[in-house]
Order: sequence, then structure tokens, then C-alpha cells
Amino acid sequence: MDQEVLTTLKLLMIGETNVGKSSILLRFTEDEFNENMQSTVGMDYKTKQITIDGNTVKLAIWDTAGQERFRTLTPSYYRDGQGAILMFDVTDRHTFTKLETWLNELNTYCNKIDIVKMVVGNKNDLPNREVSMEEGLEFARRHQTLYIESSAKTADGVRCCFEELVEKIIQTPGLWEANSTRMYGGDSLGGTRHRLGKRGVQLTDDYEPQNPYSNCYCSLV
Amino acid sequence: MEDVLDEVVSSEDLKKFERVYHEQLHASNVTQNAQFEYAWCLVRSKYSADIRKGIILLEDLFNKEGEALKRDCIYYLAIGNARIKEYTKALSYVRAFLQIEPGNQQVQHLETTIKKKMEKEGLVGMAVAGGVIIGLASILGLGIAMAKKG
Repeated sequence: MDQEVLTTLKLLMIGETNVGKSSILLRFTEDEFNENMQSTVGMDYKTKQITIDGNTVKLAIWDTAGQERFRTLTPSYYRDGQGAILMFDVTDRHTFTKLETWLNELNTYCNKIDIVKMVVGNKNDLPNREVSMEEGLEFARRHQTLYIESSAKTADGVRCCFEELVEKIIQTPGLWEANSTRMYGGDSLGGTRHRLGKRGVQLTDDYEPQNPYSNCYCSLV
Repeated sequence: MEDVLDEVVSSEDLKKFERVYHEQLHASNVTQNAQFEYAWCLVRSKYSADIRKGIILLEDLFNKEGEALKRDCIYYLAIGNARIKEYTKALSYVRAFLQIEPGNQQVQHLETTIKKKMEKEGLVGMAVAGGVIIGLASILGLGIAMAKKG
């Protein structure tokens, strides 16, 4: 892609095994769906560029294995994460209950306190739901995270999930830095400010200090 | 970082899991988990000596019981071997994995990554050869020019 990249963001995908983390990622990066997706070994890594409101960002997405035996090593990957997708399966209550543990782990090991978190209820195309959207939203509200429901199979909510997350990160001052190559390019930083300014986000030095936790949630189902 | 092969373990992690492994080794009671975790760190080290050690530990684990562990071992044996440029070995592990799980996207992707690396390094080799030829030609040219002058 020839478009100038504003920044690279590190995103994490966490949650119990078999909730569909890799499937969502595959849908997002390749627009494919694999009915027989096998469980991830350790950690997988994918990159993708997306353009949101004229800003092109490169996403470095770390897809962690949900299986118990990888639990001791995966927290190392949380370091420097700017966005986290906490996923559960809406047809499996256990995976929803376990979110609390995953969130605790993230809060313990991630060094960025204002990391943007998004709870994703996946497999919402299936009929045998065990967790209602109200419960999902309530959890998200309580922990001040974003919320969305998705289906890797139908692609519902997948793009939106990443776009919302990235948008929120970009709107959080101090959580990300413009690419260093741009900094040396004369007034390129000013250009960034200008481009962001178009959508009403100011990147000035005297910004209003924000609540480190997002207090909004969204439902885009 | 461009792909999974570029990922480097933090020194704290390496030290932490090394300590656990050595404590267990000292007590002559190494658990498979401790060995796997230490090996997983080693194959992601920036030093090839570490990677080679990790490969030995993984090969040892692979010969023990446990199907799930075998799967993890093969994957990281492919990663470790690719990182020390033992591409043929790495690809043989990738193929062994794909024989059991032909549709595994993660491993298919690893295969593409390794092949791309091989291609890239092959091209680099050709570029070096090309440079030598140009160098030889210029020396030859210079020689001819000097001969004409003389």
C-alpha cells in the first residue's frame, strides 16, 4: 500500500479456547471462514492495514492460544498492547464466566493502564445462545470496556469490532505515537494533527486528561 | 516485527523459565511443562546457541508421551529451525504437522513465511554473485584500458 502509515498499533486477542479468536482474525485479515479451524499453537501473529477517517494505521495483531497449557507464557505478549479483544462464545456460558479471569490477567500484565478493551461475544449466528446480549453489555459496562457481538461465519460485526477498537485507541492521547519516520519529515506531525483535526480530535499538548478507562460501550448488532 | 519468526523472547522471561527448569533439573524431576516452557523461550532467543538448545529440548519432549505436547513441539521445532536458517528441516516439521492437520491455517501460514524467507535469501545470494561479476568485469575493463594506454 502506498498510503502513509500514521502509526502501528499492537492489538491482543484473548479468551478461552475455541471461542473463535483465530476465526475472527482470519475473517478480518483474509475475509475467509474455516469451519474446522484448529486450536492455535502458542501464539500467532498477523498484520493488516486499515484506513479509518483518512488515517491509515498498521495493526499488529497477536492471537494468543486459549488453552490452559499456554497460560504461563502468554501474558508476556500483553506488554505494550494498546488494544485488547476479550472474546467469549455466546453459546457457551463457561467462556463468559472466565472473562473475569482474562480481564484480571490483562490488568496484571499489561503495562499500559489506558489500554482500550473490547468484549466480543462471538458466534451470534448460532441459535443455542446461553449468554444474552444484556448480560454481555452489563459486563462491559461494569468493567468499562467496549462491547460488540460478532460472527466469523457470517462476518457480522467483525470489521466493526476492529474499527471501533482502533478509533478508540486513536482518540486516547498518550496511548500511541505517530511513526518516527513521519516525525523527521518536516511538518508531517502537523499534517497528522490537521488530518485528525478534521474529525474533531485534537492532538495538542494541553488536552483534557481523560479517564484512563473507557466508559462507553456500543452495541452494533 | 514482520512475522512469527522475528519475535524475540524477553530476557526476563528466558531467565524466569530457565530458573524453573534448572531447579527441577537439580531435583531430578523435570516436568514436561517446565521443559516445554523453557524450550519455547529458547527457540525465540536472539542467540542461535539458545535456539539449538531449545531444539534439543523439544526433540527430547517429542519422543515422550502426550499427543497435544507433540503437536506443540513440532510447531516450535519448525520455528526454531527456521530461525537458525535450517530451512529444509523447518519445512519437514511443517509438512509433518500438515500431514496430521492439513487445513491448519497457522501452520500453512508458517510454511509460506519460511518459503518467502528462503526466496529472499536466495535472491540475496544471487545479488552477491552479480556484484562479484560486475567487479570482475570492471577490473578486466580497467586492465584492457591500461593495456591500450601502454
